[in-house]
Amino acid sequence: MGRNETAHAPADDVSGDTEEFDPIGTLTLIGIYFTILVLSWVYIYYIEFLGRDLVVVG
Amino acid sequence: MSEAIEGDRTFVDKFPEEARIVRAALLSSFLALVIGAVLGIIQTLHRTDVARIIPSTDYYTVLTAHGVFMVISFTIFFLVGLFTWAVTRSLDRPLIDIRITWTWYAIMAVGMTMTGVSILAGFTDAIDMSADVLFTFYAPLQAHPMFYAGLAVFIVGSWIAGADYFRTWLAWKRENPGERIPLQTFMVLMTMAMWYIASSAVAASVLIFLLPWSLGLIDQVNPTLTRTLFWFFGHPVVYFWLMPAYLLWYTVLPKIAGGRLFSDPLARVVFVLFLLLSTPVGIHHQYLDPGIAEGFKFISMTNTMFLLLPSLLTAFTVVASVEYGARQRGGTGLLGWLTDLPWRKPEFTGMMLAGLMFAAGGFSGMVNAGMNINYMIHNTIWVPGHFHLTVGTAVALTFMAATYWIWPQISNKPIYSRAVGLFQVVLWFIGMALMSNAMHAQGIMGVPRRTAEPEYSGFEYATMFGGYEELNIQIAIGGTLLFVSTILFIGNLVLTMGNPKVSGLAETLPPALSGPDDAPRVLDNLRLWVAIAVTLVVLAYALPLAAIINRGGLLGPGVGTYPVWLAPGLDALANAATPPLAGDAWASLVEVVR
Amino acid sequence: MHIHAYEKLWLAASVLLILLLLGSVTYGAVGPGVAMVSDSEQPVDATALDEDERFSEPRVEQVGENEYAAYVVAFQFGFQPDPIVIPEDSTVTFYVTSRDVIHGFEVAGTNANTMVVPGEVSEITVETDEPTEYGLICNEYCGAGHHVMEGKVNVVSQAEYENQTSGGDGE
Ligand code: HEM
Ligand SMILES: [Cu+2]
Ligand SMILES: [Cu+2]
Repeated sequence: MGRNETAHAPADDVSGDTEEFDPIGTLTLIGIYFTILVLSWVYIYYIEFLGRDLVVVG
Repeated sequence: MSEAIEGDRTFVDKFPEEARIVRAALLSSFLALVIGAVLGIIQTLHRTDVARIIPSTDYYTVLTAHGVFMVISFTIFFLVGLFTWAVTRSLDRPLIDIRITWTWYAIMAVGMTMTGVSILAGFTDAIDMSADVLFTFYAPLQAHPMFYAGLAVFIVGSWIAGADYFRTWLAWKRENPGERIPLQTFMVLMTMAMWYIASSAVAASVLIFLLPWSLGLIDQVNPTLTRTLFWFFGHPVVYFWLMPAYLLWYTVLPKIAGGRLFSDPLARVVFVLFLLLSTPVGIHHQYLDPGIAEGFKFISMTNTMFLLLPSLLTAFTVVASVEYGARQRGGTGLLGWLTDLPWRKPEFTGMMLAGLMFAAGGFSGMVNAGMNINYMIHNTIWVPGHFHLTVGTAVALTFMAATYWIWPQISNKPIYSRAVGLFQVVLWFIGMALMSNAMHAQGIMGVPRRTAEPEYSGFEYATMFGGYEELNIQIAIGGTLLFVSTILFIGNLVLTMGNPKVSGLAETLPPALSGPDDAPRVLDNLRLWVAIAVTLVVLAYALPLAAIINRGGLLGPGVGTYPVWLAPGLDALANAATPPLAGDAWASLVEVVR
Repeated sequence: MHIHAYEKLWLAASVLLILLLLGSVTYGAVGPGVAMVSDSEQPVDATALDEDERFSEPRVEQVGENEYAAYVVAFQFGFQPDPIVIPEDSTVTFYVTSRDVIHGFEVAGTNANTMVVPGEVSEITVETDEPTEYGLICNEYCGAGHHVMEGKVNVVSQAEYENQTSGGDGE
């Protein structure tokens, strides 16, 4: 199968080079993202939205 | 990597026929992108009152064309091109019959031309044709029949494209019994399965209601029903735009970063989740519709929120794959590895910036999904602010960036200027950051979307993160940068096409760190997932649709017909204070036309 | 199937985030009592609104102690009545319908916002505060003159409100 691109590559056995890899940088980045999401949500829902005039109550 | 030796033949060397159709599809897509960008800048400068070169009544012709060309032709033509490449490449076999392939391409092109002409004809009074109904075509505003007919033809073309992929996969399966479906093909098949489910509703709405109605065969339609059928399709279509970008992020981006996909099984899980959850959520576009019970809205919201999961998982998997690449290149530290990435490659930087904007769009998307907070932003310019981050950047910028990588593969021509490419993708990012940010801010102030003149005579907007005028300037500058960026992209591509062919451009895609053997076999069971998806759709829609039909009848409670193509805009304006053209007056007009 | 521990952590955080979102929306509904426009009103015949008891004469009327109903018709390209005058510190229910195409009803900068679909009546109830003049805009494209479709919602003092309704052209 070597003649082609990696057409069948996903089916190949790749255990040879799967040394354990810990994506700690990714975890850090995504942790930051999570914090931003939560803070922005709390601001926009509880302060911006619920603080506006003419809240629809019925 | 060791694949270097095997990869000396490019896609076009191996599959010249398929490469030709991929190029054709991509070029159709980019043609729509350029037209869309011209319209985009016109409307940006118009609504911000920087330059008004068209009468405001024509604004809606521009907007309809911008919407349709961008999100129907630009995205979907790119999709079929990319999917044709992905299926052929990952199965390593040609499509079963290239004539069928050209047939669907032709059908799609004809359909889009019909729709496009019917929209653009709105600019001239010489032709009695117009489709100023925007890409959502809500009845009872009525477009020229050719608008609906073209859409139906286009969708049928895309169905045949899907069948082409499925049949090619089945042929491959017979040749390779017992093998796992290659990841890219898996993604294509899942996406097309979702597309069949989603587009069935809009096809039904067009063929059963809107087209016969525009031809005068039925008198009226039920606005809530056709609206609901539109959004049955209208939300999953969002994922139809997004899935090709995901395919690129999962399978191409890691390679460009110098690494490999972190987890093949998770990628499969993500696509299964999209198939299952994309459709039973459309009612979240109707949170503020009368005539739909609050309970249905709540169910739709719950499904929508869970639809966040596959995207959040994708964020992790894709970033981890990139991090792996950086570490392979010698990157160290908690975040220091970020500097070890190939930021000079336009395909890399473009896709990464697209992903970053998608993360930002994730936030405004959460707000859009939150049922009651919809009161704050529904139909304000916040919404275009949101989807220019998602489809307008996460998708569009990924497509442009990927083109810098894929075009040499399908043409054997190196990119004319990679430096300009890099500049172009960064420019898009900056332009969109400005435009979208200001749109979000204006939206919170209550500035509506889809309007030629958002300044009103009776009141002024409150200030919020900068005044209304300031934000307009930001939008105008951002839109201009986006326009320039698009022109640079197209110019670069056209010059690339003039380049001589060379050899040695071949690229390969490495297998995943955690390969498909780690993925449970059940993931590849397409029948099962489709069955569950259909069940979920029935559960989500049977009751709401029944309730809507029960309330208003199949053809609606008494509702008139408002053809935009027979009553030129100015008449309607003149009629503003008097009762509008009623259905019977319209019927007699139809008689005259016949 | 092997899933990395960090990814599991992220999965858990994601589910938590989703619960926070759903929880907030639910809190909004039961705490401050935000309610959605829904199917509470019966369909009407959009082509025969002049025969409809509520919409043949769009108006604001008192329906209870400190409770008012505003019957509003949206059309290409305006709202009736215009301005919509309502008293301060009261509970006002808007009943909005369209006599032609789909429109929007958005009191600019506030949370009063709904689609207006011909054949359906959108019912939203709000509580007014001090006297303020709000802009009212149609935020759904409704034809070539969409951008001129605007109105006003004037929250006035009780005294002024009574003045308006008793004297002049009121009922
Ligand atoms: C050249 C860059 C672009 C500019 C300057 C631009 C500008 C705009 C503006 C100002 C609007 C809002 C108009 C209004 O609501 O009144 C708009 C709407 C829209 N844009 Fe873009 N845009 C650009 C690119 C894109 C791309 C790449 C896509 C998608 C792939 C896209 C999809 C849309 C859609 C779907 C709408 C909504 C149409 C509607 O409301 O019916 N745009 N665009
Ligand atoms: Cu949606
Ligand atoms: Cu309007």
